[in-house]
Amino acid sequence: MRALYISIASTLAVVTPAASLKAQIVDYASLSEAFGEPITTSVTGKPQRASEVPASVTIITSDEIARSPARTVPDLLKAQVGVDVNRWTAGQSDVAIRGGVQTYNARLLVLVDGRQVYLDHYGMTNWNLLGVQLDEIQQIELVRGPASALFGFNAASGVVNIITKRSSADTRFAARLEGGTHGYARLSATAALPLTSRIGLRVSAGHQEEDERRIPARLYQPPVTRGVGADQLSATVFMQAGTGTSIELNGGASGNRQLEFLPSQILTEQRFRNQTLGVLVNHDTPWGSLNARSYTNWLQADYGVTTPVTDPYSAVADLRAKNRISVTAGSALVRLGAIGSARVGLEYRDNQLSSERLYSTRIGYKVAALSGMLDLHPTDRVTVTGAARVDRLWLEQGGAILMPQIDPASAYNRTITPVSFNVASSIQVGEEGRLRVNGGRGLQLPSLIDFGLHVAIPAPDVPVPVYLVGDPRLLPVVVDSVEAGYSHSFASGLRLDATLFYTQVDRLIASPGGAVDVTLVFTPEPIAAARFANVGAYTSHGIELSASGRIQSKISWSANYSLARIDETIPANRDATYYALFPKAATPRHRANITGDYADDVWSAAVVAHLATSSRQSSFLPDTNLVSIKVPTSISVDAKLTRALGRGAEIYVASENLTKARGVYSSPIPADRRIRMGVSARL
Amino acid sequence: MKQISLITGACFSTLLWPASSAPSAILNVPVAARVLSFVQPPPSGVVPVAIVYLPGNNESEAEASAMERSLARSAVSGRALIRTHRVAVSNLAQMSGTRAAFVTSGLRSYQSDLAETASEQAILTITSDTGCVLAGRCVVGITEGAKTQIVVSKEAARRSRIRFGSAFLMLVKEV
Repeated sequence: MRALYISIASTLAVVTPAASLKAQIVDYASLSEAFGEPITTSVTGKPQRASEVPASVTIITSDEIARSPARTVPDLLKAQVGVDVNRWTAGQSDVAIRGGVQTYNARLLVLVDGRQVYLDHYGMTNWNLLGVQLDEIQQIELVRGPASALFGFNAASGVVNIITKRSSADTRFAARLEGGTHGYARLSATAALPLTSRIGLRVSAGHQEEDERRIPARLYQPPVTRGVGADQLSATVFMQAGTGTSIELNGGASGNRQLEFLPSQILTEQRFRNQTLGVLVNHDTPWGSLNARSYTNWLQADYGVTTPVTDPYSAVADLRAKNRISVTAGSALVRLGAIGSARVGLEYRDNQLSSERLYSTRIGYKVAALSGMLDLHPTDRVTVTGAARVDRLWLEQGGAILMPQIDPASAYNRTITPVSFNVASSIQVGEEGRLRVNGGRGLQLPSLIDFGLHVAIPAPDVPVPVYLVGDPRLLPVVVDSVEAGYSHSFASGLRLDATLFYTQVDRLIASPGGAVDVTLVFTPEPIAAARFANVGAYTSHGIELSASGRIQSKISWSANYSLARIDETIPANRDATYYALFPKAATPRHRANITGDYADDVWSAAVVAHLATSSRQSSFLPDTNLVSIKVPTSISVDAKLTRALGRGAEIYVASENLTKARGVYSSPIPADRRIRMGVSARL
Repeated sequence: MKQISLITGACFSTLLWPASSAPSAILNVPVAARVLSFVQPPPSGVVPVAIVYLPGNNESEAEASAMERSLARSAVSGRALIRTHRVAVSNLAQMSGTRAAFVTSGLRSYQSDLAETASEQAILTITSDTGCVLAGRCVVGITEGAKTQIVVSKEAARRSRIRFGSAFLMLVKEV
């Protein structure tokens, strides 16, 4: 009887999902299942096992996302080694790799399925404007260190590439409803629909609201805002166009309003609206693969939407900017047999910002780039990888020039041709260890606001009008980094990893903060100009240690610790004259995270504890200018308890900052404790 | 106190002491089944698969039984179905009509015949015996140690007219 059962069951075992709907050359889910670990393309552009990449990489899988108490991508990243997450307000977060965070942190490039969601107008990532729901994420790939040689500008200190789940052969539907303290409410849904044997559709939508944290009155008036709101709708069509060729069409719209610290550390409320439309074509060949993509993002950002006109800084805060970025790129990845592989890529991007508060009504640039990668395996145990990219940027402006004209129009007729690169080697040590050494140069491009902002600022004590203006002469920030790491995986599932790193960041760009340097300009009337500037440098060095494992089959755990020592050289900051940039003071020296989770057929529980030592963060106060605020050492605990309700449904309760640690978000605004309950269903 | 020390010691031993990392001699069937989906074009619908074993060889028979049990535990989802049947290595003609063969170890003296049959009928052969792959007689070898390793014989794949997607090939060791 048992033999018969086995025979019948093995006859009907279903193993290969939706072969005809695989609209991606790199099927992350299937490859991860086959190799027993996540697969990534975010380090070299070629698919690699997470344990074999020659860089410090963390991959957060969909299972880990589902178990985690986190409800946002920054929350998930916060538990990873070497990552600083500053949640300045309820909605605004910045993620920095290995210290040196700045508000609107511009040195981390964030992508969704390789499409940029980083916002070029101000050099920032709005994590509530990603256009994806957590439920549709296959994995989040975090690469520490420069990656501009693969991804271009702004992958200066790292990359976060969010990979979404693919279409499936079956109709699938998932929905989630959450409610909690502080006015928190969230509704999201995703659906995957096979339209034909060769065409699939995925749709997702979501809405979220929550109240702002309690803001000290001296930081912002009025102290209560309308809170955070975010909406998202997106769709992707997957098509299989013959053997080896797949096409994806994607589009979406998202909106968000939230209170934010600007790079000047002024606290204002913003409203963002973003639309995207794109196409991706992959073609698989016996010798490798070809990839082509084109997409356009349209952003409208309204700054200072609740700043009253009576506020002396309303002239600074009140800004509407429209940014359109169009990217067309292609690459060829070639297998070189047992020797290794090579990749060559071309990219063209057109980036334009329109506003009435710029040097002229349009500031923009075009970029053409050529990149290459060579991955060689001289022996079975040694890999050597090199990658380089050269970008040619043409800065430009157009439309009516805003008076008073401070720079000649020719200042915007400028080109920049920087080079970025990575070199890496990894050596297999025994059967379970791997040593890696790598280094590289990444680039942060000045934002379009940095290049071209033009606003009057109140300065009653100054006898001439004062303007805050961008500078077309700004140079890209250069990030040079080296690191060495060793990882060891035991058959028991225990994995240990240690990394030493050194990073140097030069030509830091900052916004004028306190009693800043001003330049007297005759236009022909005399005015004073305070400018965005390349103001200095800092170095960061330290160690990152992590361990993870499993106890029996139901309990898994991980622990990590990072030490980052920052040394800064910012000549522009002296006496009472300074810019809004304090990388040393703003970076906690020590960070540690411990995660544990349990799961059986009915219950699952996850606990994440965070430690961050003290730091100092800044805020711009209308009466005293820029002030430094101490954020105390904090230990916080996030937790989630889930109970399955039959097949595909679950109910859960989760809490952030159970310990009510004030400094856990490394923000001048103290953190609070938030609790939410939710129910989810999958069909 | 002594008990606490013993328990603590035992816990650390569990966490830190590396278990044996010797490669498994039994084919990881879920991985083998997943490898099928990387063949170009990917198979769909009912996919006949032979489990090739040596009758009378206890290890081979045990591995064949383990393969069947493993498939019985597989989750049911998607469209492609694996339909398995046992094929004695002495009667390889029964492989006719199959798309793939899961080959037990211990068939070294039959590997030439197996390779010949697989080549004639364009059958993807998958085994945990990497010696068969290194000898160019099986197409795919899967071993389980500290982590899954997959080896692909270019020569055997060429003879059997098997082509894999490039992403898969960049992750395996081709010999």
